[in-house]
Amino acid sequence: MWKTILRRIMIMIPEVIILSLLVFLLAKAMPGDPFTGSINPKADPAQLHHLMKLNGLYDPWYQQYWNWVVHLFHGNLGNSYQYQEPVTRLIGSRAVNTLWLALFTTILTYCFALPMGMYAAKHEGKLPDSIIRVYTYVTYCIPFFVILVIGIWIFGYVLGWFPTTGSISSTATPGIGSIGSRFYHILLPGILGALFGTVNVVQYLRSEVIDAKRSDYVRTARSKGVPEKDIYKHHIFRNSLLPIAAFAGYSITGLLNGSLFTETVFSYPGMGLLFINSISYRDYTVITALVLIYGILNLLGTLLSDIILSIVDPRIRIE
Amino acid sequence: MVKTKNKVILSAAVTLLAAVTLAGCSNNSSSSSSNSAVKFSTAYKNSAATDKNATKNGTLKLAMPSNSPFQGITDPVLAPNATDAEAFAPGGENSLFNVDKNYKIVDGGLANQKLDRKAKTATITIRSNAKWSNGSPVIAKDVEYAYEVLGNKESTSSQYSSDFENIEGMAAYHKGTASTISGIEMPNGEKGKKVVIHFKQMTPSMKFSGNSYIWGSIEPYEYIKDVPIAKLASSEQIRKNPIFVGPYKLDKVVEGESTSWSPNKYYYGKKAQIGHITINVVSLNNIDKALQSKKYDSVVPEVAGSLGGTDYKNLKNLKGYAKVGQPALGYSYFAFNLGHFDTKTGKNVEDSSKKMSNKSLRQAMMYAVNVDQVSKKFGNGIKWRANTLIPPVFSKYYDKSAKGYPLDIKKANKLLDDAGYKKRNGSKWRSDPNGKKLVIHFGAMSSSATTEATYQNYLQQWHKIGLNVKYANGKPMEVNSFYDTLQKPNQNSIDLWLGAWSLSSEPTQTQLYGETAPFNMGHFATKKNTELINKMNDSSAWNDETRTKTFKEWQEYMNDQAGVVGDQFNYAWQPVNKRVKGFDISPANDEFYSNLTLTSSKLK
Repeated sequence: MWKTILRRIMIMIPEVIILSLLVFLLAKAMPGDPFTGSINPKADPAQLHHLMKLNGLYDPWYQQYWNWVVHLFHGNLGNSYQYQEPVTRLIGSRAVNTLWLALFTTILTYCFALPMGMYAAKHEGKLPDSIIRVYTYVTYCIPFFVILVIGIWIFGYVLGWFPTTGSISSTATPGIGSIGSRFYHILLPGILGALFGTVNVVQYLRSEVIDAKRSDYVRTARSKGVPEKDIYKHHIFRNSLLPIAAFAGYSITGLLNGSLFTETVFSYPGMGLLFINSISYRDYTVITALVLIYGILNLLGTLLSDIILSIVDPRIRIE
Repeated sequence: MVKTKNKVILSAAVTLLAAVTLAGCSNNSSSSSSNSAVKFSTAYKNSAATDKNATKNGTLKLAMPSNSPFQGITDPVLAPNATDAEAFAPGGENSLFNVDKNYKIVDGGLANQKLDRKAKTATITIRSNAKWSNGSPVIAKDVEYAYEVLGNKESTSSQYSSDFENIEGMAAYHKGTASTISGIEMPNGEKGKKVVIHFKQMTPSMKFSGNSYIWGSIEPYEYIKDVPIAKLASSEQIRKNPIFVGPYKLDKVVEGESTSWSPNKYYYGKKAQIGHITINVVSLNNIDKALQSKKYDSVVPEVAGSLGGTDYKNLKNLKGYAKVGQPALGYSYFAFNLGHFDTKTGKNVEDSSKKMSNKSLRQAMMYAVNVDQVSKKFGNGIKWRANTLIPPVFSKYYDKSAKGYPLDIKKANKLLDDAGYKKRNGSKWRSDPNGKKLVIHFGAMSSSATTEATYQNYLQQWHKIGLNVKYANGKPMEVNSFYDTLQKPNQNSIDLWLGAWSLSSEPTQTQLYGETAPFNMGHFATKKNTELINKMNDSSAWNDETRTKTFKEWQEYMNDQAGVVGDQFNYAWQPVNKRVKGFDISPANDEFYSNLTLTSSKLK
């Protein structure tokens, strides 16, 4: 297996190079540049040209690409034109915010969804099953930003239970206070995200469990007199986790994707907002860095999913 | 209000887009306005007594309406747009001068300015008790260093313009051939209090803050001198632990989200009274709800106005809140493509062959749109038709009596008929005087549903007078492509467009509509226009009366020529909680943050 993993990683190298080239060229192909965007009556176009030159934006594309690659190998992703600070630092600070929120949301989602899926399957066709199914479909149908706006309105503004902007209170004391404040700030978006993001896990788990319930090995176990509780715990649950495990790799690397809606509504500075803003400001260095990171994460996600699958199901072997 | 003074207006394209959405303006708040439905005062006069305890221990909570995090660059020379200025406003933005209500520089601020026309110098004298928030004194080098950061070859600032080369030696410094700026002199040494700037030419605009020759803020030289200028914007000194000269000092900044402040005991002026100020970024989707649920006392004052017509509709009757406002420093406009920019000579040139070079056609199109009704419907009283290109915030120069282009379909039709734009061969559309098919391409930026509805209305009105006007590219354009197209030296894909400007507090028109202005994207450049614009800043303009006259003459001329026509003016307005006392956003209120007190510990 280790050989296979190594081989997979080796294949990723040309993939990443092609991806980086594509990203780089596509970013440059967008109309505008980081400086003409900031047009204002007092800005001198001559100065903007000076800045373009200073940043090498008039060089031929292959030279720009080469410079970029050379810097990349020195761990330098360049400076953001918009934020005027190193891209690594900028992304680093946003990534921390996004990771906190995404991790919390994901854990919470599984905490809600796994028992729900199991329970629904156990009581297949009965009232609890119908309720859970209706719940997942309804939550799936409502656009998430609507939920966020309603949620922030009720729990943030009307009831005032949760903070409504940012990732941390401006008056939080360092140490425990700031960790507490951070947690308090992700509570509402996290809970909303988890409550309304259960559909995939619930539905997959439910149908798998229902399938498993009818399979031969379960019938055998039952006929041997294994208690129902143990059947579910040891025989059905583990087998039913397969499709969810297939996702798991992506979920882990996807933690950094960020949620544009949540970040906008809660003014929560994360990766999603950064990505969108960098596109509208033509902040090339940030765009290319982010797309490259997302690309690599996706490749890793696939690999990770395969590895997890092989661990969950010993029948699957990566060869 | 503090944040506007001396501030060169920085508007990113996205801000411009917002300005279109929010644009609208008014007559000067003190004078009566015929078009705008609501009237604002710049100040909320609270008759309640200040609660000393609540003020001393309380927190003034300000929201900053924005959909994106601020950049966190505290230095006004380096900040790429206005959001940073808002987030760090209580620090005083390191402003040098106090101003009056017309943004004219007056004595009494951090420094005084004296212009000597004969010697061609500006002498800046720093007050003796001026200190940074870390206790170190403000010195002459702090004033000089701002020009170095601005003009340095390696600087990341986009604020430098060729106008600064009016300072002796600036061009050489900017090129990198000189290591200092020879025209900036510190007679009492770097640690002195006096700076003399030598100019090649003196202009009347130097009397006003926001002019393009004298920079209005300072740099904490001693504090940042070890950081290379190219790295300044990303340094700890500018981002994490910045120092200020204003009434408040920064306690904490949460990157992109919030700032918190407490009184700066070294402040030279009136001592700040409220114990703490916090500023939080609040998404534009939530700002109304946030204010309705009394999370914030007010929003950070913004000269271009951060709240729009829909917000006004939602918040105007909010209990516990008063409203203040003044005409915004900005406007939206229609402009026509009349020529090209000659990159060799660096001049705008009109081409008589352009589709829109017929004056009657332009006038007819402007008479056909019903800006009055559009403003009424979507502006909710805080926007109204712009009757000229100088917004009413410049009360001295604004031509109140200008008619502009109110709706007059009859006149529009007559103008077209007389000019030979007739419907031929039973066509639904008018053709040009030579009988050729006429299709006009209208450029507009993609924006909110409301703004796009107004575009539709404009198109519909033009169709009414028989003009075949279509969106350039078939739909509203993404903001970057829009300006990318317009900034090409010669383009034929957009014939007329709707844009917006945020303005500097100094109203000279050279950089917008001058013959050599690259931002004169319609290339309107008649001899008379050049003459009038030059006259705004020549020696005759030192006389205020003559300058005012020139401004009015220019406005009249621009209206007649219809090369660029005002669309909407708007109010920069905001609600303020009734527990706050001393809230006055007038530019002349140079102690905005120091004057604030609270009358209760809880929001009303």
